[in-house]
Amino acid sequence: MLRLATRAMGTRFELVLGCEDEPRARAAGEAALGRIEQCDARYSVFTNSSLIARANRDACERPVRLDPELYGLLERCLELCAASDGAFDVAIGPLMRALGFRGQRIDAPRGASLGGFELDRATRSVRFTRPDTQLDLGSIAKGHALDLAAATLREDGIESALLHGGTSSVIALGAPPDAEHWRVRIGPDGAWEAHLRDSALSVSAPHGRTADFAGHKVGHILDPRSGRPVPLGLCAAVLAPTAESADAWSTAALVLRARGGSLELRRPHDQAWLIEEDGREPLFLGPHASFAPHARVEPTHR
Amino acid sequence: MSVPDRRQLLHASAGGAAALFLAPSFELLHPTILGAPLAIAVIGVGRQGRAILGELATIPEASVVAVCDSDDSRLQSALRRAQGLRGYASHAELLAKEPSIAAVVIATPTHLHKQIALDCIAAGKHMFCETPLAHTIEDTQAIAAAAKGSSKVFAAGYQARSNPVYSLARSFFKAGTLRQLSHLRAQDHKKTTWRTPGSTPERDRELNWHLDAERSLGLAGEKGSHQLDVFHHFLGRHPVAVRGTGEIRLHKDGRTVADTILLEARFEDGLRASYSATLCNSYEGRYELIGGEMALIKLGWTHGWMFKEADAPTQGWEVYANRQQYHNDSGITLIADATKLAAQGKLTEGVGLPYTSLYYALADFVKSASEGKAPACSASDAARSTVVGILANQAVRSGSEVAIDPALLESL
Repeated sequence: MLRLATRAMGTRFELVLGCEDEPRARAAGEAALGRIEQCDARYSVFTNSSLIARANRDACERPVRLDPELYGLLERCLELCAASDGAFDVAIGPLMRALGFRGQRIDAPRGASLGGFELDRATRSVRFTRPDTQLDLGSIAKGHALDLAAATLREDGIESALLHGGTSSVIALGAPPDAEHWRVRIGPDGAWEAHLRDSALSVSAPHGRTADFAGHKVGHILDPRSGRPVPLGLCAAVLAPTAESADAWSTAALVLRARGGSLELRRPHDQAWLIEEDGREPLFLGPHASFAPHARVEPTHR
Repeated sequence: MSVPDRRQLLHASAGGAAALFLAPSFELLHPTILGAPLAIAVIGVGRQGRAILGELATIPEASVVAVCDSDDSRLQSALRRAQGLRGYASHAELLAKEPSIAAVVIATPTHLHKQIALDCIAAGKHMFCETPLAHTIEDTQAIAAAAKGSSKVFAAGYQARSNPVYSLARSFFKAGTLRQLSHLRAQDHKKTTWRTPGSTPERDRELNWHLDAERSLGLAGEKGSHQLDVFHHFLGRHPVAVRGTGEIRLHKDGRTVADTILLEARFEDGLRASYSATLCNSYEGRYELIGGEMALIKLGWTHGWMFKEADAPTQGWEVYANRQQYHNDSGITLIADATKLAAQGKLTEGVGLPYTSLYYALADFVKSASEGKAPACSASDAARSTVVGILANQAVRSGSEVAIDPALLESL
């Protein structure tokens, strides 16, 4: 197996793929990683020339024309926002900045961040409907990039590969040469594993990144409706057909869990969810066969 | 995620010079083009062609209506990504069936530019041609001559000429801020095979033309000519000789072009530009340095810095500079129009360019074609830097010094 990696989106993306013809496989892998680097350059809120930075700079004053790829992504973000009852919302930028997760801290916006932008298909443009709207694709960009990278690999004839971004989002093409599926362990102790074959997994946990806010340690996942951070003890793993969907819903699942109420009402039927919470039994939703207890715990020492 | 490159600043400021961050006037950063959208076809939708499609899609004054590629899988991939376009397998078919197209962008392999460029010029199209323009001096001359004979706009893809950061740095350079020039240096270092996967050995050979010395200008021409063009643009003159070496250090996969090269270009007054490119290591990436008695300008595509000597006079605009600590040195981050940006609350949004360098090159082309203005990078500009790239590649292949005839460049 060939292993390649790149640094993008503040983390490390890695892929492994079969390599009967190594030069060709390496070239295909580089093209896939190039797609991820391209996404970073286009969607980063930290890069002034990114498409998202252009929108955040100008879309409250005038419509900003987008390319078809970003336009399609924002359309799906609006659908996800509606389907998740606002638990997933890319207009969360001001809230993230208020908590100190995006550089210089700003005052918290008044009211919900929900929505805050509209799309015009005829001009393929975005316009902000609130002066304080700022888009932040942090909860979907990694998954989106992994899907594009996987599509690039498929176009180049690669049938077996595993790609991950920062070990929190994973997409599998086919299966390893000698197995039925890719086995990916979940959580710090690896007690559970997901079985992936042409599917994706994303894991979200608020303790993954934290900041100090008003004397308290808060996680980086917020309820866009209330602005409240999700409790640190929660963790969600979502198995879905695409990495983009898994990425978005793993964030939304945490927010929905923190709100209380029925998760089953919101879970897309083609997804399996595993919710872990300190002091509670793990909660499974969807096809149970997707997650299995890890049969053998490896010794942690060497 | 990308931020102004601290590593590069650390390295460059280790000598104790203060780093001044160059940023152009905010008004310059928003190209405004009037009139109906320009109907454009993109010929060649490989990696660069797809990047061009992405940028053109964000320019309201441009309307891509057709794409062309001889590789069907690439063509279909481009059509999937940008719905509503018409696709063609050859530029001849495109020109025959799309008479209303006003402009074309050529992003095919370098050695295929000539015939497409000549046919499109003959068909009366505005043209943006990727660079280097061609892989032989004869083809370059043919393209330059055809462009001169055309009443339409011919713009070329040496992007530094339309990049606002480079324009701002050039204005400091032209104002004499550096005083006596000492040296020029540039590099393009990136760990990559530079290979495109092909489904069959035949397709693989076709797609990987830049690894074949018979069809490719190698790193010296394909990458180096872009960075040598920066020096040509700043100095307004070209080297008179170039020598080089090249080796295949890592990618021993049957390619015939070096994966690591060194060049030294010599100007008539003895000034030298050193250049290195490698596909084996990524350290410090890509940049150009212009060093002088009083300061050194470092250019890194979307960012630029000036490192001033301690005895350099302080200029008025420096009072607006922010101070930053870089390792042991205190650097000055300079942003032109800083007070205005601060008033708009935009100083904290980052100091790099608000658009990509490719965007500026394409926006300049669209504006030139729409308004009949001269483009930032003309056919002559591009032809001269292409010829320097061709001769630099000859130097790498031969391992010896190659003279650059000023009369040849002047004729382009």
